[in-house]
This record gives sequence, C-alpha cells and structure tokens, in this order.
Amino acid sequence: MSSSEDRDLVARAVSGQDTAAFGELVRRHQSHVRNFLRKLAGDHTLADDLAQDCFMHAWDKLHTFSGRGSFIGWLLKVAYTTFLQSKRKSKRYAEILESAGHVADQESRSTVLPSDEVTDLDKFLAVLTTEERAIMVMSYACGLSHREIGDATDMPVGTVKSVIFRGKQKIRNSFDIKDHQHG
Amino acid sequence: MISKIINMAERIKDAEDRLLEALFESASVADDGFSVTVVRKIKRRLWVRRLTLPTAAIIGGAIAFKPLSGVVAALSGLASLLPTDTFSMATSAIPQLQSIQLETIVLGAILLAVGLFSVRMLED
Repeated sequence: MSSSEDRDLVARAVSGQDTAAFGELVRRHQSHVRNFLRKLAGDHTLADDLAQDCFMHAWDKLHTFSGRGSFIGWLLKVAYTTFLQSKRKSKRYAEILESAGHVADQESRSTVLPSDEVTDLDKFLAVLTTEERAIMVMSYACGLSHREIGDATDMPVGTVKSVIFRGKQKIRNSFDIKDHQHG
Repeated sequence: MISKIINMAERIKDAEDRLLEALFESASVADDGFSVTVVRKIKRRLWVRRLTLPTAAIIGGAIAFKPLSGVVAALSGLASLLPTDTFSMATSAIPQLQSIQLETIVLGAILLAVGLFSVRMLED
C-alpha cells in the first residue's frame, strides 16, 4: 500500500470530486479502519456503522489532508473522532433515558460480547481506558509510529509513549503475560 | 537524523511488544460490498447537494412571486405619487429611460441580486 499512490488518489478525489478514486481509497483502508473500530467499540455491527460514518466524514474533510503524514494515520484520526462523537451522543441519550426514568444500560449492552466470543485481546482491552485502548490499537494493531499516533490523537509524542507504557503496565498487572506467552 | 534515531528506537521491540503485536494482530476484514455502499452513499449525498439549491430557488421563487409582485405594484404606485417634474427632470438627460417602466427596473434589480446571491452560493 504505497503512500504516494494514496496521495495521488486523494488529489484526484479532491480536485475532481472523483468518487471512483475515493472508492479505491476506501477499498484499500477499510480493513484497518474497521478492525480499529471493532477493537475500540467491541461491537462489530456498531463498528461497521461507525466505519461508514468515518468514511463519509473523511470524504467531507479530504481537502484538509495535508499529505504530511500517512493517509491511514489521518483516516484513523477521523475514525477515532467519529467514535468519540458517537460515544458522547450515546452517553447523552442514556442520560435523557435516565432522566425520563428508564434504565440506561444501552452503551454497556452494545459493547458486551457473548462470553464464548470473548478473546484474550478483549480481556486485555477491557482493563484499558478508551484513550489507552485507541493508542494501543493504533500502535500494535495498525503499526502507526508514535508521531503518527500523536497526530491522530492530538497528543505530544511524549504523552503517547507514557500512555502506551501505562497501558502495558495495566495489562501486565492484570494478567500474567509470561504465563500466557508460554501457554 | 533525530527522527531516524527516534524511528530506530521505536523499532527496538522487546518480547512483550512482540507478544502484544501478535495479540493485537487480526485477520483483514473482507470488503463484502462495504466500499460500494460508502461510495453509493457519497454519490447520493452529492446529488442531494446539487439538487438542493435549484429546488430551493424554484420553491422560494414560487412562494415569493406573489408578495414580490405586490411589492413591485406598491413601488410603482409610489412612483406615480412622485411629482412628474422630478421624474422627467431626472430622466430627461436620457430620453430612452422614460420608456422603461419602473417596475421592470425594480424587478431587474431584484433578479440581479438573487442571481448574484445564487452564483455566490454555488461557488461556496
């Protein structure tokens, strides 16, 4: 997946409102974005809906991609923002339900997987905060550099490093990684 | 140079990093019509955007036609109240103007303003 090809496709999509060029970008990166959101949201259906919203937002904001970093880094920033917005909205919705006297457990219900589908990764991710989870996934699943993660999350590189360190420590404290490693 | 050193430092991974990478690794998600759906949605949105302004202009024009014609009639009524000397003095320099109806001028000005506004909106 060449970044220069990505830049060419972005240029084509921006200059001529070329939906075919953007379609190619979606085809190239949908797997990364959907995997990122699936790990973040913990719910495949919700994650895929968010991925669609993410690409719609990306289309609207494509002209803001400067080409300085990688396109996937920029795309994951859009995905992360989309996820946070949706989380805020569902929180507000839960608050409205609660104030109306309903039991507001919509969010927790949507993120809980059936026990037989819970993987080791899900258990690891469960001990992390949303921010830690996003950064760990960007780093270990998507292979983004600390600088790219900093750009995606609007954080200094030093903060990114300390969040990763903290995340690893939490995982270490909650699970015996060495035992896991040796089966 | 500094960025190269940083990149190298990032690449030095310990066993824990490699284990986490293996854990976070997941099979690529099959497209299964996902990209087609996204592109279709974008195309639909583009069409809606393209059609919104002309449709709004047509509906707005239809709604505004009656009140506008009332305004034009009122303005022409006001013009008839003006002393004929003033009007004829103002237009005597250009005799052709006398033949042009005031309503046409007002309507033209409104249409020009609406046209300019629409062009500006389209450019945006």
